[in-house]
Amino acid sequence: MTISHHPNDETLAAYAAGSLDEGSAFVIAAHLAMCPACRHSVRDFECIGGALLGDAEPSRLGRAHDGAAMQELALAPEPQLVSPPKPGVDTVERLISLYGQGRWKWRGFGVHSADIGVPVEDGVRVFLLKAAAGTKMPQHTHSGVELTLVLKGAFEHEFGRFEPGDIEDADSQIDHRPMVDAGSECICLVAMSGRLQLHGLVGKLFQPFVRI
Amino acid sequence: MNKDNDKQQAQDQAKDQASLIVDIATRQDRSAFASLFGHFAPRIKSLLMRGGASSELAEDLAQEAMISVWRKASYFDPARASASTWIFTIARNLRIDIARRKRREEVYAVLETVEPEAPEQPDEILGASQREARVREALKILPPDQMEVVRLAFVEGMSQSEIAEALGLPLGTVKSRTRLAMARLRQKLEEIK
Repeated sequence: MTISHHPNDETLAAYAAGSLDEGSAFVIAAHLAMCPACRHSVRDFECIGGALLGDAEPSRLGRAHDGAAMQELALAPEPQLVSPPKPGVDTVERLISLYGQGRWKWRGFGVHSADIGVPVEDGVRVFLLKAAAGTKMPQHTHSGVELTLVLKGAFEHEFGRFEPGDIEDADSQIDHRPMVDAGSECICLVAMSGRLQLHGLVGKLFQPFVRI
Repeated sequence: MNKDNDKQQAQDQAKDQASLIVDIATRQDRSAFASLFGHFAPRIKSLLMRGGASSELAEDLAQEAMISVWRKASYFDPARASASTWIFTIARNLRIDIARRKRREEVYAVLETVEPEAPEQPDEILGASQREARVREALKILPPDQMEVVRLAFVEGMSQSEIAEALGLPLGTVKSRTRLAMARLRQKLEEIK
């Protein structure tokens, strides 16, 4: 699997800092499960935290001391997971199962969606989006952030072609019109805040019915 | 010359700290734990206090973080991260609301154990601490406006939009400063040894 679309560096940095909202962090985690290059970048960016922690001026401890912590060390260190998960879609499924997946619901335009139970933070929701083979989405922009990770199939628009493992890190500036490959349905994991803003005559007619 | 000595010393220290965590994992070494605690607990406390936690909460969380170091020691891979980077990730995860923490920790645990993509090299202990040393150098020469957004994100745990609001800047400016800082870091890491 060759991945050609990655999250922006500022998104990976926020993930490494632990300051990304819950929903975006989840979709980034799913991309990391599929992308060794970004796992590597995050590890490098986490070094910033390591360096800043190492250089931090130590604070005086009051009650806490190693003796008190020792009391709680009766338990032996946790053994590692028996079978390390294989990188790829299997790991993404494992991540999704941690939060649970809702029912598939019809959304119009040959599109279905199913909510993932990641708590909404900063208005960011996580859901799976399934589009039938050959679906043409209407021209649209987003009123907030959107991360779209392809799990199955592929889509294409003005800014490139997106295959499994590819992620689109789009903000409200990007106006696009994705088209799903004719050969196979496309399933994506999406983190999104705000609603789709549809453009064009067809879009304007359909806007009231679209609940994505 | 002096600078080189300092660098060497910092790397030796990082290597020692890594082997302390390995000692906890392999033989539940309590004295290894005590010396890690002495070094890191006061620093975690100060990091969390700068992120807005009260002294009391910061201290509780620092203790909790160190207990996680003990419990999760077998997950520590010295080829992947230096001791202080790994401990930072534990403290970082504790900053998240308690209600949300458990699942989020599970997500990180799954990712942390994803099979490594390349075979591990014997000199990778040095590799991880060397990378951290490079990052530390890059941070020292970062322009102040870039360092500020990096510090607010990594130390204070602020999101990009919170940083924008705090500094009275457009979100796009915060993003581009962060992006430039990360580009410098990448550049430093890719320099020929």
